[in-house]
Amino acid sequence: MNLYQPLHRRQLLQRAGAGFGGVALASLLQQEQLLGAAPSVSRDPLAPKEPHNQSRAKAKRVIWLFMNGGPSQVDTWNYRPELEKRDGKELEGFDKNTGFFTGQVGPLMKSPFKFSQHGESGAWASEIFPHMSQQIDKMAFLHSCHTESNNHSPALFMANCGLPKMGYPCVGSWVTYGLGSESRDLPAFIVMSDPKGRGLPKGYSQNWGAGFLPSVYQGTWLKPTGEPIDNLKPPITMDVSQQRRQLDLMKELNQYHADQNPGEADLAARIESFELAYRMQQAAPETLDITRETKETQDLYGIGDPDCDHIAKQCLVARRFLERGTRFVQIYSGGMENERSWDGHKDIVKNHAGFAKETDKPIAALLQDLEARGLLEDTLVVWGGEFGRLPIVQKGGTGRDHNPHCFTVWMAGGGTKGGTSYGVTDEIGHKAVDDKVHINDLHATILDLLGLNHERLTFRHNGRDFRLTDVSGHVVKEIIA
Amino acid sequence: MRLKTITHALGCLAACCLATSLFAEEPAATQKPLDPDHAKKYAEGLKLFKGKVRPLLMDRCGSCHGVDVIEGELDLTDREGLLKGGATGPGIDLKKPAESYLMRLVTHKEQPYMPYEEDKLLQAEIDLLQKWIELGAPYDKPLTEDKIAVIPWQERKVGNDADKFWSFQKLNVVDPPRFTDDRWAENEIDSFILAKLGDKELAPNDRANKRTLIRRAYYDLVGMPPSAADVQSFLNDDDPNAYSKLIDKLLASQNYGERWARHWLDVARFAESHGFEQDYDRPHAYHFRDFVIQALNQDMPYDQFVRWQLAGDEIAPEDPQALMATGFLGAGVFPTQITANEVERTRYDALDDMAATTGNAMLGLSVGCARCHDHKFDPIPQADYYRFVSTFTTAVRSNVDIDMTPKETATKLAAWEKTHAPKESELVAFEKNTLPGRFENWVASKDLTNQSMLAETDWILFDQITAKSKNGTTLTRQADGSLLAGGKNPNDDVYTFTSQSLIPGQLISAIKLEALVDPSMKKQGPGRADNGNFALSKIRVFVEKLDGKDRRELKLIEPEADFQQNTASLSIASSLDDDPKTGWAVDPQFGKSHWATFAVTTETSIKPSTEERLVIELNFQVNTKHAIGRPRLSYAVKPSRPSADGKMADLSILRAVSELAEKGDVEKLNEKTRTALLDHFRRQDSEWVALNDAVQKSLATKPKPNLTKMMIVSEGVKPIRHHTQGADFFEETFFLRRGDNEQKAGVAEQGFLQVLMRGDSTTDQWKVEPTSEESKFSYRRTSLANWMTDTQNGPGHLLARVIVNRVWQHHFGTGIVSTPNDFGVQGQKPTHPELLDWLAQYLIDNDWRLKPVHKLIMTSAAYSQSSQFDKEKAKADLGNQYLWRFEPHRVEAEIIRDSMLSVSDTLDETMFGPGTLDMGHKRRSIYFMIKRSQLIPFLQVFDSPEPLVSVGGRPATTVAPQALVFMNSPYVREYATNFAKQLLGTNATTEDIIKGGYWQTLSRDPTPQELAATAGFLDAQTKSYTDEKQSNPRELAVTDFCQTLFSLNEFIYIE
Repeated sequence: MNLYQPLHRRQLLQRAGAGFGGVALASLLQQEQLLGAAPSVSRDPLAPKEPHNQSRAKAKRVIWLFMNGGPSQVDTWNYRPELEKRDGKELEGFDKNTGFFTGQVGPLMKSPFKFSQHGESGAWASEIFPHMSQQIDKMAFLHSCHTESNNHSPALFMANCGLPKMGYPCVGSWVTYGLGSESRDLPAFIVMSDPKGRGLPKGYSQNWGAGFLPSVYQGTWLKPTGEPIDNLKPPITMDVSQQRRQLDLMKELNQYHADQNPGEADLAARIESFELAYRMQQAAPETLDITRETKETQDLYGIGDPDCDHIAKQCLVARRFLERGTRFVQIYSGGMENERSWDGHKDIVKNHAGFAKETDKPIAALLQDLEARGLLEDTLVVWGGEFGRLPIVQKGGTGRDHNPHCFTVWMAGGGTKGGTSYGVTDEIGHKAVDDKVHINDLHATILDLLGLNHERLTFRHNGRDFRLTDVSGHVVKEIIA
Repeated sequence: MRLKTITHALGCLAACCLATSLFAEEPAATQKPLDPDHAKKYAEGLKLFKGKVRPLLMDRCGSCHGVDVIEGELDLTDREGLLKGGATGPGIDLKKPAESYLMRLVTHKEQPYMPYEEDKLLQAEIDLLQKWIELGAPYDKPLTEDKIAVIPWQERKVGNDADKFWSFQKLNVVDPPRFTDDRWAENEIDSFILAKLGDKELAPNDRANKRTLIRRAYYDLVGMPPSAADVQSFLNDDDPNAYSKLIDKLLASQNYGERWARHWLDVARFAESHGFEQDYDRPHAYHFRDFVIQALNQDMPYDQFVRWQLAGDEIAPEDPQALMATGFLGAGVFPTQITANEVERTRYDALDDMAATTGNAMLGLSVGCARCHDHKFDPIPQADYYRFVSTFTTAVRSNVDIDMTPKETATKLAAWEKTHAPKESELVAFEKNTLPGRFENWVASKDLTNQSMLAETDWILFDQITAKSKNGTTLTRQADGSLLAGGKNPNDDVYTFTSQSLIPGQLISAIKLEALVDPSMKKQGPGRADNGNFALSKIRVFVEKLDGKDRRELKLIEPEADFQQNTASLSIASSLDDDPKTGWAVDPQFGKSHWATFAVTTETSIKPSTEERLVIELNFQVNTKHAIGRPRLSYAVKPSRPSADGKMADLSILRAVSELAEKGDVEKLNEKTRTALLDHFRRQDSEWVALNDAVQKSLATKPKPNLTKMMIVSEGVKPIRHHTQGADFFEETFFLRRGDNEQKAGVAEQGFLQVLMRGDSTTDQWKVEPTSEESKFSYRRTSLANWMTDTQNGPGHLLARVIVNRVWQHHFGTGIVSTPNDFGVQGQKPTHPELLDWLAQYLIDNDWRLKPVHKLIMTSAAYSQSSQFDKEKAKADLGNQYLWRFEPHRVEAEIIRDSMLSVSDTLDETMFGPGTLDMGHKRRSIYFMIKRSQLIPFLQVFDSPEPLVSVGGRPATTVAPQALVFMNSPYVREYATNFAKQLLGTNATTEDIIKGGYWQTLSRDPTPQELAATAGFLDAQTKSYTDEKQSNPRELAVTDFCQTLFSLNEFIYIE
């Protein structure tokens, strides 16, 4: 598939700056890296593109709430009464290499949390989500997700990039590549990480990297401290009028040069890029400024609540970006590993209750707010981590080790069927049994909801047409409305 | 690529022994009777098969599983095949038909859903299959009569015509086309270009003007614009060869390597960190970058360049440059935290990274695509992949110390040997001829007793036999006789040291305690407290029988110390009282050693006998965790206490003398003791001392090898290892079914790509065997290098094509093959195949040197023509594939930054060595450290690639964040400020400043329009800054102008 339709120069100028400064891919990017044999016409890498299948395109944008570290399915959304019954019993035939700590295999451990049913769907939720459980009818649960690694970083790469190794573009990059951006002056794909000094997810920026896709498709990481986006403020000695005068001179001098070089579309595109940049200087700070929201909205998210203020801010910023045309947002709950994220090896109560408290209210608010603004129907919300946790206790504490064999992900909005549940695990929540959902299936489903066919969304690199779903992937049609 | 689908491969079906008995799923040993309905079920099943199952299998399953091909090693054309199953475990379960693997796949309970990538079976069909399995799955006859002969995939051969594809063929011997009118042409390249243009009825552009040419040449070869003076002198040079001379000059510049190395580093996915979870640094990986720069500047033959990158350690183990080159193989990502389950797969990933990068970079082939199946497009069977990968089986990354200048070291060493040898022989002669006699006389004449020895010393090291901590501190003896505390740091502690006296019969007169510093402690101690302090509540000394009985305490008095924290509760005196909360401490004198000495009262002192031992106790109860971190104890036997810095006795001499006294004769002493005694004696012999001093002084000047830590890839070296739950590598590489390390299918011996072994050639003809059994090298990589560079029977022709294409690509913006990393079937075909072959041959004929190729290209008319756009020509060839003009293009990220540094005259030209992540540094951009998790945003925004896999070319995007860099980046502003200061310093008038700025950045005068616009701008900005009462309005205005120059298209486009 060739996503780059040639544009005439006039079209190009009209479109200039369709994305976060997306103006032109000067040397063509005819699939295999650039410098192709195709005509040297400038193309806008971030111009909005038609999805493969307009009628299937229910979602226009995505927000992925990434519960970093691996939330435990049996302590969150996958209620397993049998586990309660077998509490303290050995799990026979257990492969000790399943988790990370092969020498700390303990007996089965019931969830320390109470579960109850909610909403019309009667879906089960753990008591640690008092707010989210009120929104449960918006959620479509995938209880049988499984992945290919029992180790954070490969599993994170798997969840984000479709393979348990480094070097491949992430979902957000693929989506931006496939659909372009709807915002003229904001990033198409943003990522927010833990602002409480607990670090970045393992593998760092590779989790939102564009891999071999052009770097315009990589996620813009909003830095948690200092200026969130680089180079948005003019030099300190310059005021607006002084910079405007400078840009006018630049434009004039560049224009003389362009006049002498007719036929060079790149030059015009680049002149335009400065104007766009000038506008971005205003648009981005405005979008980041949540004080423009009403007190009511701020309270709904939990702004000012010390337990969840940071995630509340991120969710609210995310909504502001999404409603202004940003295509893909990812928010990471938790930093690196162990106590710094949902990686509850030692004490599942302290760990999961803590991170639930940080996220429960803001995420519930986000769902409500999106719905109230009519955005939920075409905004896909995804909640999940890189793997699940074992139903057995990790010896030496009251926590759980990694489990690649099953975990729960839920989606809401964006054309999903709220109040449904798909996939079955065994009675103790150790392994997915029926209707298993591989990460490639999860990705195929996300793309499908956006109207993208995961087998047609390809990019040729070093002689191969790569896909987000590699050589696999089935759309889980059962959760699509 | 991976396994999942592959479960498709899985053998759907069970391997129970049904071949002879239908319901033999009951173990034979139990001898249970057959199901009484057996015959009835069989008949029913057969009927079902004939009527419905057979057509269903034929229609939906058979073509992939036995009729046309055999996927997943599953042949279900007959019952035997069905029961044997495919590559993995049981597929049908006759006891639980519904749970059969086959049923789970067709019911889409499990992936891969079957039929593969087709519509699901109808419910009735599914029910039918299940029923049939319930009835024992009988066949009446096979689905097809002609069984496919299965050649094991490991032995699959490529077809005879596989090498007919253009890039696999030998270089065509071509003569450049001839023209009647070739006035335009400068060299052979142009003949080929003209021929193609002629076909399209296109005419090339005229030659570009000299200003354009010099700018093009500078950006292209050295990656920075020419200075105003460079341009002037070129413009004034009327020599017809002026341009040719310019190219020679630039090719000889060291900056050439710094510019062109970057291209190869992209191809080599070079970075200086591991990536993955921790992204640990590879602080010694920069040597590879330096190698590439050096090799290019030396014009190292390209075949050697390749050979060294694959096997420099084996081919030229003594040459540091060859070792630096092996960094190529190790530049890829590698996990630093590997769970037991992932160890083997991770190693196969690492092998894949080496093989795939080698394939892409050197041969333009996607070898890596054959990891899970035969290559979909190119004639590379999966088995070729594993044989190829096997080359790297035992190759690992390692950090080694390498002498960077071995020749110089050897020369210096030889010179030193000349002066050193005579001194050494003089000493040896003296020790042999003169010293023994003097020694014997001395032994005979002198009263060799402890007493006489001790006369020369003050303190005797308390040579602890045991050192114990009461509360779990570990005390480890150091070379100087001190004890280093480690491990647990308990709140309070008592150290107890015990030693048998070395000098029985001597009255002990004083005790010395030293508290020494050590880097293991906070602030180096000398105490273990967080601030480096200690507090000694009490020191006690005892003598007791060897069995611990009859203990007597020696009373300590008159304490002295070099420093004490105060004169009361933390004084040295308080370490003798009985209050555990007072004692000697040293705040604030941390980070230095301290001492204390004590006298022993004559009343309590004793002369320990050989049956007794000394015990010294140090108590630390004053403050929590305040023990001494590295105590050393000694004592004195002189009647009066020696000064604290008095001489320490040589224990070996004391021991020797004791032994001599016991044995009575030097001859009876053992060698060690004798040597100790001799050593003691000769130190008093002035003649020996003089000779020995000369030797020692000379030794001190011995030239040392110029050792540098370097990351290489080699064999038989210590692998770099982080947090892994398994081996670093395995001795053998296996064929892996579907790329899955759980599905091994025999050992893969090294081999090369069949399609690139010409005629009857076999892998053996390039093989090099280890020279001896002890050789740490397998020489497999040398074999690969031999094959790779063989232009007759190996892929040397392709190697040459790929590299000349890369050179062409970076001069023109696009290669003759526009997919530089893919010369396979999926890649683009060459626009000028004859030219490509001719250039490849030209490279080989020029001893594989790249500089002649650069020169030829850059002096061609095709390269030197103008970039003038022409609507009519563009209609015929919009993309300028046939080169009717020089295609203008934006320069790369590194050039943008380097050019700003260069014109502002702040470039630090230091070459080589470790890089940095500091954006503020002023060296060329190639010296940024490349840390995978902290790529330099400035370079990334201008399309510098992620160093993860081989990248053959970069896009040149135009996005607003680039404009933001020019407008707002503090670094660009800093470069502009420096540029402005420089312009202000050398020019007086506004016009001169503007002209100076234009010349340095754009190599020309401003037009009157530009001059007027800029002058007006400078006035307005100056006024505005003056109104704001800025202290330097003029400088700020000129800085704004300089920043504007940086932002101009003309500055960052090669035209």
